[in-house]
Amino acid sequence: MIENLIDGPLWYFSLAVFVIGVVWRLGSIIFASRKQDLSVARGAAGPAAIKTVFSRFVPHKEIVSQITVPFVAGYMFHLGLFALLFFAAPHVAFLEENLLGFGWTPMPHWAFIVASQLAFLGLIMLWVRRMVNPVSRLISTWDDHVAAILTFVVMLTGCFALLEGSTGLRLLHRFSVELWLIYFPFSALMHTFTFIPSRAFTGAWFGRRGIDA
Amino acid sequence: MCLALLPFQVFSQDKKPEPGVFMKDPGSELWRQVRQRDMEGVGISQVRGVDSGVLINARGDQWARFRMTQLSTYGGFAIAGIFAIVILFYVVRGSVPVEGGLSGRMVKRFTDYERVVHWTLAIVFLFLAITGLILLLGRPVLLPLFGKEVFSLMASASKEGHNLFGPLFLVSLIMMLISFVRRNIYEKGDMTWLLKGGGLIGDGHASGGFFNMGEKTWYWMVILIGLVIAVSGLILVSPSLGQGRVIMELSHIVHSIGALVLMTVSVGHMYLGSIGSEGALEGMKTGYVDINWADAHHDRWGKVCHEQDLIISAEEYARSQGQKPGADKMETAEQSK
Amino acid sequence: MARMKFFCDAERCIECNACVTACKNEHEVPWGVNRRRVVTIKDGEQGERSLSVACMHCSDAPCATVCPVDCFYTTGDGIVLHDKDICIGCGYCFYACPFGAPQFPEDAAFASRGKMDKCTFCAGGPEDDHTSDEYKKYGRNRLSEGKLPLCAEMCATKALLAGDADVVADIYRKRIINRGSSAFNWGVNDLNLGG
Repeated sequence: MIENLIDGPLWYFSLAVFVIGVVWRLGSIIFASRKQDLSVARGAAGPAAIKTVFSRFVPHKEIVSQITVPFVAGYMFHLGLFALLFFAAPHVAFLEENLLGFGWTPMPHWAFIVASQLAFLGLIMLWVRRMVNPVSRLISTWDDHVAAILTFVVMLTGCFALLEGSTGLRLLHRFSVELWLIYFPFSALMHTFTFIPSRAFTGAWFGRRGIDA
Repeated sequence: MCLALLPFQVFSQDKKPEPGVFMKDPGSELWRQVRQRDMEGVGISQVRGVDSGVLINARGDQWARFRMTQLSTYGGFAIAGIFAIVILFYVVRGSVPVEGGLSGRMVKRFTDYERVVHWTLAIVFLFLAITGLILLLGRPVLLPLFGKEVFSLMASASKEGHNLFGPLFLVSLIMMLISFVRRNIYEKGDMTWLLKGGGLIGDGHASGGFFNMGEKTWYWMVILIGLVIAVSGLILVSPSLGQGRVIMELSHIVHSIGALVLMTVSVGHMYLGSIGSEGALEGMKTGYVDINWADAHHDRWGKVCHEQDLIISAEEYARSQGQKPGADKMETAEQSK
Repeated sequence: MARMKFFCDAERCIECNACVTACKNEHEVPWGVNRRRVVTIKDGEQGERSLSVACMHCSDAPCATVCPVDCFYTTGDGIVLHDKDICIGCGYCFYACPFGAPQFPEDAAFASRGKMDKCTFCAGGPEDDHTSDEYKKYGRNRLSEGKLPLCAEMCATKALLAGDADVVADIYRKRIINRGSSAFNWGVNDLNLGG
């Protein structure tokens, strides 16, 4: 009964919410009407936009010592999560069977485990840092906490189901993923996609004014 | 033996002919070897694998008996006992207030990074403790409550979670080792603290530096026992390294005893760091502690803070925490008056 | 009620490993898992003997004692079986078992153990008899067809005996009587041959 719901309608519903929500939100950001920039162009906006998308992957030298924990833990978490999301053998098999119809070479089991350990340690350290640093705590909204905790729950239920031997634990993981997918478009989790237009916008704005930052 | 046989041999030398083929009975020799009472004479098998040539591993039964009768029983009593002791202690002593109340003037104790390391280790430790206890005590305690099917899910989740989080404990332990080791080296005055019973017994406070002797001892327990737990855990978690059963059984014993010791003491640590001692949790939460708390619990460090003028006012502290100056800290200062 | 037992006659076992192969084939167990193995003591020396060993289906099984999820059970025939739906693959039964019977499918480094697999005395598992589910998890259920374990049935020298403990004991007793006052009787030590 509940198995059919989680594997069937709820899965398609959450997937639809995720896809439609992400497309709608991204579209509304990209096609939003903006004030025409009346300033005299001192530089090209386009190249600066592309440059900024990549240059922001590395923090500025001046502040790197201040943000060592979020910098290192952030990369641990994001790279680990990306690797285990798309290259873990059970995930590749799932995507092939249920969504795409084709698969790719998954990473070996030990790499999967190491990736998830990096992701777990990174996420825990990021969240703890968010709580103990007064500035981070002050600017964190409840949405940030829900997003972090929901992602942690998804990863934790996935870790619980590692034996791949019981339906109950698999359903728990899948259910948490569905909640996560539904929450995704309406939350801070959208930074998965919005970081690109956001950086590009800043870069273009700076580039037009000839600011090299 | 030899000496006893010697005269006989000398005697019979010229009477009896040379003995023929002297051999042991293969039938009884076989079973002597199989039992491996002297732990030698391992056989060979076409089935390749660690220990596949061992027919009977008698240590397994010793391990099983230890785990089922001693480990889970005494372990369960230890965990239940420490909670009882802490509750009893709280009822008797209550939360120990800071002498002279809180002043509202603060002094920096821990950096962001140090608190991140502490809480990361704490979260990983608690997760491992809970999942470990489910595996150790689940069968007598939880299985009758939930039934086999549900408990099997819990135990499977605990095992996988425990295995995955284990190495994280080692990593955060090493971060803990590096960032706190300098202040945790024992120094002069630590014996006095011990002789005064750490201030737990009786009234007067025991003298302490940045960390007092009890904290230092807890730190070294965490580091040393933690390392033993981590290494023995890694031996248990990777069965494909080629270690035999006997090594795994010993690792399991070391792992579980060490973990139970740490868990038991950690309950005391959590109590003293939170409700047991007024003003102590602030240090790990915000990084700042009240100067009166520092003077009371860590007088030698408090003196240094006074001398080097490291104390900040309530307003400065509130600003550092992103609050409007004097929003709620003034209240505390007033109350303490 | 019958009480099922294996017995391996060390004077007859010729280490042909047919029992191992038959078991692997009959139950289609995965790579790396061997429910039965033959161990040779004093290989190439005087007094070399071989024994075929698998789960001994103990009356007071240590695996069942230590299992943290209590997945073992003893059938009416005295066969120790386990429920793979309950098993969590912790490996405690492997530590406790004196005979090294519990096996775990495992591959590379960091791989945690899969669910335990061991000799079922060809009696399947808790699933309904002869279902594909039962076959996938536990292998063939020969006992319910009135057949004995394949390893013993096909042993060329009839060294490996399986069946009701009383019958097995009777067969072995007769063998001992027929062997008569062999110099290799048990309990006789330090023989002086010749002279």
